[in-house]
Amino acid sequence: MLSPYRVLDLTDERGLLCGQILGDLGADVIKVEPLGGSPARRHGPFYQDEPHPDRSLFWWAYNRNKRSVTLDIESDAGREILHRLVASADFLIESDAPGLLAKRGLGYDDLAAVNPALVYVSIAPFGQDGPKAGYADSDLIVWAAGGPLALTGDDDRAPVRVSLPQAYLHASAEAAIAALIAHFERQRSGKGQHVDVSAQQAAGQATIGTALDAALGGGSARRLSGRGNYGPLPMRTTYPAKDGYVTISLHFGTTMGPMTRRLMEYVYEQGFCDEATRDKDWIAYVELLTSGEEPMEEFERVMKILEEFTSSRTKAELLQAAVERGLLIAPIATIDEVAASEQLAARDYWREMEHPELGRSVRYPGPFAKFSETPIDYRRRPPTVGEHNREVYLDELGLSEERLAELQSSGVI
Amino acid sequence: MAEELPLADVKVLDFMWVMAGPTATRRLADYGATVVRVESTKRIDTSRTLPPFYGGGPGPENSGRFHSWNAGKLGITLDLKQKSGRAVALDLIRWADVVTESFSPKAMRAFGLDYESIRQVKPEIIMLSTCLMGQSGPLSKFAGFGSLATAISGFYDITGWPDRPPAGPFGAYTDTVAPRLMVAAVLAALDHQRRTGQGQYIDLSQAEASLLFLGPALLDYAVNGRVHERAGNRDPEMAPHGVYPAAGTERWVAIAVESDEQWRAFCDVIARRELSTDERFSTIEERLAHQDELDAIVAEWTQGREAQEVEKVLQSRGIPAGVVQRSDELLTDPQLVHRDHFLQVEHPMHGTVTVEGSQFKLSRTPARMERAGPTLGGDNQHILETLLGYGAERMAALVAEGVLE
Repeated sequence: MLSPYRVLDLTDERGLLCGQILGDLGADVIKVEPLGGSPARRHGPFYQDEPHPDRSLFWWAYNRNKRSVTLDIESDAGREILHRLVASADFLIESDAPGLLAKRGLGYDDLAAVNPALVYVSIAPFGQDGPKAGYADSDLIVWAAGGPLALTGDDDRAPVRVSLPQAYLHASAEAAIAALIAHFERQRSGKGQHVDVSAQQAAGQATIGTALDAALGGGSARRLSGRGNYGPLPMRTTYPAKDGYVTISLHFGTTMGPMTRRLMEYVYEQGFCDEATRDKDWIAYVELLTSGEEPMEEFERVMKILEEFTSSRTKAELLQAAVERGLLIAPIATIDEVAASEQLAARDYWREMEHPELGRSVRYPGPFAKFSETPIDYRRRPPTVGEHNREVYLDELGLSEERLAELQSSGVI
Repeated sequence: MAEELPLADVKVLDFMWVMAGPTATRRLADYGATVVRVESTKRIDTSRTLPPFYGGGPGPENSGRFHSWNAGKLGITLDLKQKSGRAVALDLIRWADVVTESFSPKAMRAFGLDYESIRQVKPEIIMLSTCLMGQSGPLSKFAGFGSLATAISGFYDITGWPDRPPAGPFGAYTDTVAPRLMVAAVLAALDHQRRTGQGQYIDLSQAEASLLFLGPALLDYAVNGRVHERAGNRDPEMAPHGVYPAAGTERWVAIAVESDEQWRAFCDVIARRELSTDERFSTIEERLAHQDELDAIVAEWTQGREAQEVEKVLQSRGIPAGVVQRSDELLTDPQLVHRDHFLQVEHPMHGTVTVEGSQFKLSRTPARMERAGPTLGGDNQHILETLLGYGAERMAALVAEGVLE
């Protein structure tokens, strides 16, 4: 789909996914790395637990469909080569500290002078400007600043993050959208622009709009162990199963109340509650609890009944019932269970990619969407450091063998 | 004069509802696309029932979340089960470049509005269908909210403390991941269509799209057989790394020490210079091996201090640290205020409502948000008259037949 377009990817671990999304969608993505390889290659886990720049699984996860060149962009010769690459590029993505590339003569204004149609995408923890733009960052800090951290975890301990870094993935995926929106404008105007993505703002999306409550004077949502807030109600969401855990969404009101009714019918049929419990007014249940007509202890008893029921079933049994009867129950799958998912297998989700340097193939997570006419193709496994130097510098940029050798010996490439 | 917005010539017919889908098309509306949301007055969008409420309480026009997720869109109410309702939908499809829907599979077929049907009307149309598990496979009928996809795709299990049941990320987490991929998919398909004339169908499973965010763990399992597990706030490459109590109730501060240099600066800040030469903490490997001791040291220093003060003093030394901001603090966070993260937009009944802004800035053509989400049926006339060119008679007939409901 995006095969006519070239992307220069200068990002470190904060921005890798942006280029991969564009690459999955067909763009020619050139990863420009410092001489020893991107610092992102130092992040584990590693293939067979062996730290090596070409064996970082974090690197593998976010760099397929890219080519790799090495370039010292801090040297004059390196900068000049980057300018030549920019002349033929449609997008440039970077995730350095705000202002850092500008100091090196590679800011938006510098490169727009080389190529006015360039869409220049900057991904930063707090965006390019503002009082916190210069803050030191990490996944945890951005998650804290954006709001989702305060909402997550058991209420008797500290707030807790998702144990795989997420904040920059949100920012990088958002950056891909932003790049494409700027691209649409360029198709009309012929002009590029500077795209400024804030990871804090992107992480804010994962609060599911809770700050809006405060805008109306509402209280701040609290975190509750294995629970969520449903209006004023603390709602339990984690339930034990025979072989792990499941989550149940209880909803009330005219639209969603019938789903709780269906669940309670099932629980009744299975012999875990009486008719009176089954036949509570699940449509008006929140109002009944709020007014006190239904005591809170009674709702606690209902959740206890649900616990007794789920404890007696396996995750698979509960999922099957959910599918057949339209219940809002899902297994809390562990990573190995995700990998073994029948649904993913039936949809041919996984992709094998050859790693010739390891003499084997590796099963990768599959495409993020299925396109009927232009399916996402895993054309290239994540590149080894500088794997495409010759291809890009000699064949495409037209450097001579001598010049390339010279740049290599002087430590530019 | 302001420049024309990037997507000013993009027309989207949006059958999506609740959160994930609408937040995707909201981004298109922010940057100029004309987005027409099709709704039913009989089966009201769940997000219209979500707090907070303007106008003093619940009501279909009162949900702050609905308005934030649908700002800038037009709305039409249409009974798709009626023949003439479907006819209006087909006219809107002729008008549109992109059709999006997020019902469970088969719903659009029941309306006669599945891809095979609508491509007969408009071969170059792009259609995106998104649901929890995708359009095919044994779980295609598994329907519900993003919190279920969050559980079944692995995020829930890896969030929480190792000695406790999983806590899960907050709410419908994958609803905040998949929309980003929806927008990227639609824009790429539209770019392709404009160059080649070829439309297409996009089947986006929320669970599959979201697995992009678990890539390293899925690869770790594929090649090393290791099952990634929840780990509290521990990080395999940083220590100290955690969330520590500050002065006051429920005040927390996040601290992430990445390098030896940051560790030495930290020891300096907390006036414990002897720790920077303590062998137990001298390298990252050592610090990772002594995290319990580190956490105790850090917490002892943070717990009497204001969270803001901890953020300021550590940041002044280049140490990643920050207040764990409560949702009410986000509204006044100087950085978010500076970035216009929350905006006031107009609403015909409520004056103005607060909505979330764009998560990025375009230097030359920034987002423009002027109105809240549509009122139910509030744009019916405009859509039928201006976008479709219907005459007064036809519109009156539609009203009389009860199609615009």
